[in-house]
Amino acid sequence: MTKQLIDQIEGEASIRFDMKENMVDFATIAFPHFRGMEAILEGKPALDALVVTPRVCGICGHAHLMASVRAMESAYADANEPVQLTAKADTIREVTLVLEMIQNHFKWIYLVIMPELAKLRPEKIALTPLKGAYAASLASKALASFAGQWPHSSYMLPGGVSCDPTHLERIKAQSLVDELISFFEKECAGTALDDFLAFDSCHDFNALESDIGEIERALTAAGMHKKGFAYDRFMVLGEHRFTNPAKVMQTRLLQADEKHVKTHSAYSPSEKTFAKNACYKDEFYECGPLSRAMASNVELIKSMHRRFKDSAYSRVMARIFETARLLDHARDMLGSLALNEDSLIPPKPITGISGCGVGVVEAPRGPLIHRVEIEEGIIKSYEIVTPTQWNIGSSVKENPTPAQLAMMGNVTMEEALFIFRTFDVCSVCTTH
Amino acid sequence: MARISKEERKNGIISAALKLFSEKGFYVTTIPDIAEKVGMSVGNFYNYFTSKDILAKELVMYISEYLGEKIREINDKPISTKEKTAAIVSMYFAMANERPEMIEYFLRIYLSNREVFGEGCAGMVCVSPFVTEMMMFFNDGVSCGDLRDQDFFSAFGLFMGYLGGMVFLFGEKILPEPLSSYEASISENIYNALRVR
Amino acid sequence: MHCASDRDRPTLIWLQGVTCNGNTHSFLNLPYLPQLLAKYDLLYHPLLPASSTLSEVVQCKRPCDVLVFEGAYDPLMKRHEVLLSELLDYYGMRAGHIIGVGSCASFGGMFKASAPQRNSGLIFDESESSGPLLALKNKVINLSGCPVHPEWLGYTLSMIADNKEIKVDTLHRPLELYSHLVHHGCTRNEYFEWKVDAKAFGLKEGCLFYLQGCRAPMTHASCNRILWNDVSSKTRSGTPCFGCTEPDFPRNDLFHTKTNMSIPEDVPLGVPKRSYLTITGIAKAFHIERLEGKLIDDKTAD
Repeated sequence: MTKQLIDQIEGEASIRFDMKENMVDFATIAFPHFRGMEAILEGKPALDALVVTPRVCGICGHAHLMASVRAMESAYADANEPVQLTAKADTIREVTLVLEMIQNHFKWIYLVIMPELAKLRPEKIALTPLKGAYAASLASKALASFAGQWPHSSYMLPGGVSCDPTHLERIKAQSLVDELISFFEKECAGTALDDFLAFDSCHDFNALESDIGEIERALTAAGMHKKGFAYDRFMVLGEHRFTNPAKVMQTRLLQADEKHVKTHSAYSPSEKTFAKNACYKDEFYECGPLSRAMASNVELIKSMHRRFKDSAYSRVMARIFETARLLDHARDMLGSLALNEDSLIPPKPITGISGCGVGVVEAPRGPLIHRVEIEEGIIKSYEIVTPTQWNIGSSVKENPTPAQLAMMGNVTMEEALFIFRTFDVCSVCTTH
Repeated sequence: MARISKEERKNGIISAALKLFSEKGFYVTTIPDIAEKVGMSVGNFYNYFTSKDILAKELVMYISEYLGEKIREINDKPISTKEKTAAIVSMYFAMANERPEMIEYFLRIYLSNREVFGEGCAGMVCVSPFVTEMMMFFNDGVSCGDLRDQDFFSAFGLFMGYLGGMVFLFGEKILPEPLSSYEASISENIYNALRVR
Repeated sequence: MHCASDRDRPTLIWLQGVTCNGNTHSFLNLPYLPQLLAKYDLLYHPLLPASSTLSEVVQCKRPCDVLVFEGAYDPLMKRHEVLLSELLDYYGMRAGHIIGVGSCASFGGMFKASAPQRNSGLIFDESESSGPLLALKNKVINLSGCPVHPEWLGYTLSMIADNKEIKVDTLHRPLELYSHLVHHGCTRNEYFEWKVDAKAFGLKEGCLFYLQGCRAPMTHASCNRILWNDVSSKTRSGTPCFGCTEPDFPRNDLFHTKTNMSIPEDVPLGVPKRSYLTITGIAKAFHIERLEGKLIDDKTAD
């Protein structure tokens, strides 16, 4: 058995590999650090969760903010005091969530995937990590035009958003997104965004003389289109304009409901782990950009899936393609954002609310669920289920989690370490 | 005989004016009446106050500062909120006995002739020293855990409305006993109404 | 220069305690990140490519001129199976400068609550002098904030690289960054002056100090002077300041101003409550029409 310590993944993890003839036979995953966010929240005034939960994670805190505010609004509804949201508030929330995803994806491409791919194909990949940081900072800037800051904004409240932007802010954000799109076209894709989005086959990547072209070719050269398969079933739970909630079995779309989601302790026989495994009706599902593309019938990704299924290749390319789709979506939403509505419709003070609520959003890595119980405005209990718990749990060999399954079989340890990161691991979220 | 300073002259006018206004009312009292009472010429009076309206506002400030100072002394003492409550009630009733014109002026002139005090005396402006000290009293009371947190005006109205009402009854000679004999029960009532339950 | 050797560039190691990675990500937003990184030999960073691996760093064999520490200190915590206390002892002794980034590293912050009896900052446990590097406190600079503002870290690392002295306050925070209050530069200042409160969240108009819990008048930070992400701040986006740079962060009931009979429990820093109340009473008496209505009525523009 070989133990590998993993860092630079939003925290730390360790993987223990059982090898058979230099190939991975089985692997267990442990996450050693724990912060007890749920316990910290108990007994606090409910709105404090809007400040505490973004601090679960430095890279996807905004998704936590949105899950938290949705959970509270759901508790209002449970208490027969439904909260109204204007289209303006709803759009602003959606725009900032999407911008956070975009910054996440850029960082993952340049700070995670390219360096990790370079370990497999050193002669092919030139490393330019600061391109990722720069692109991400543009997205964060556009986000902050509404949310005040990134990371750790708390600008969503039950009933809307705290900001009251004018067209000045909207135009500023739009100019930043336009700048980011130009950057993407010139520095990442090597082609116009619209042309890139019109791709309908993996062959279309071949002509790209660009970072994305390099990544695609290196993935193929490394055989990643033939490795890293998980269950070929996908889960999307968050309601958004850019995807549909669905359970996807191969290519069949079925209804999915958050209430069937439960977590169990992770299996880690030789090391303490604080992780949990998230299951839907006791079964493991993959989540994240590949799942979202499958659930919303993105033509290119469906074609990719027909050829390469849920391989490491598909997983990486789906996230890259989602980056482009989200840029386009952010541009559209900002262009059509109407400001002549209220930013926030004040609901009844939360001190008068007792009830249970659930907030579900699609975070960069997949469905993020916040469940809260409030009694007269005070948090009685709080539960957070994060996307990494879906993908990167740790279970027994007979019933592995998606990441375990993807690392098993015909892969070397080096390949397995790459495949592990194709899920975009977030340790801090996992062990909140 | 020592020469009377300008400040003492001014205080003399204030005392005389307070008495006349509270006895005869704001409109009936004239500047010549006041000048006569302090023994000065009308011309000289105008060296001190340029109009009756300005005098009226200065009187409110004078009373407010006087009351504010008395309450501040109580606020600064190392005693419980219950004791402070009793001290404020006692101070207020003593003032009603010794200088009834000050409270009378406040109740009968300031509160009943808003048109005179609108400009330059709006809201808290002329009563700020007094109201500030009452705010400090309530703030400290809640802060140390003695008083229940509630809206300021609900508490302020309960406290000052009660005292004002008693002084009014006293002034109308309706009270069968002297004011001081109600001090203990009124202090207790106020404290009980405001304290943490 | 406090370099341990004659190398051209100072070496920098970024270690983490109990953290969410927020400071790491905030730092990546620094507009002059490439230029700043060029001044350092980055031995380890939680995200950026660096010249050593974490395994090498935790074996305590690297040189370190500047130690950056993010997250709360937990004496039981390990990084790559080595106790934080060992890492801090080794690199703390050798580094010329130690920077606590974020409120967790400065005071315990959000993750003091993870283990309240154990966790602390590097040299402060909330506002009390306590922590693993107390003996080295003269080398420690705290950059409190949840997260740290990228420009605050950019400033500190630039000053160190340029061999300039950094003056600090009693909590070891650079005076040039933490002498201001968040209130300075807030676009709602006029509403504060005339005591016009925000009637609800989601409005441009009104001050958030009276009802919404804003801590800007008693929080040391330059958030409204050096804007976040170059574009905004919490108060500009209608969110109250939560006082995240102060040792008592996170306080309780963050969206609500604690009052005693409608009187704010805490008043602006250094202002006696009596003076504050006097001014407030007077300011409130003037009804400033311009400040009581909408600045722009979008709904009538159709």
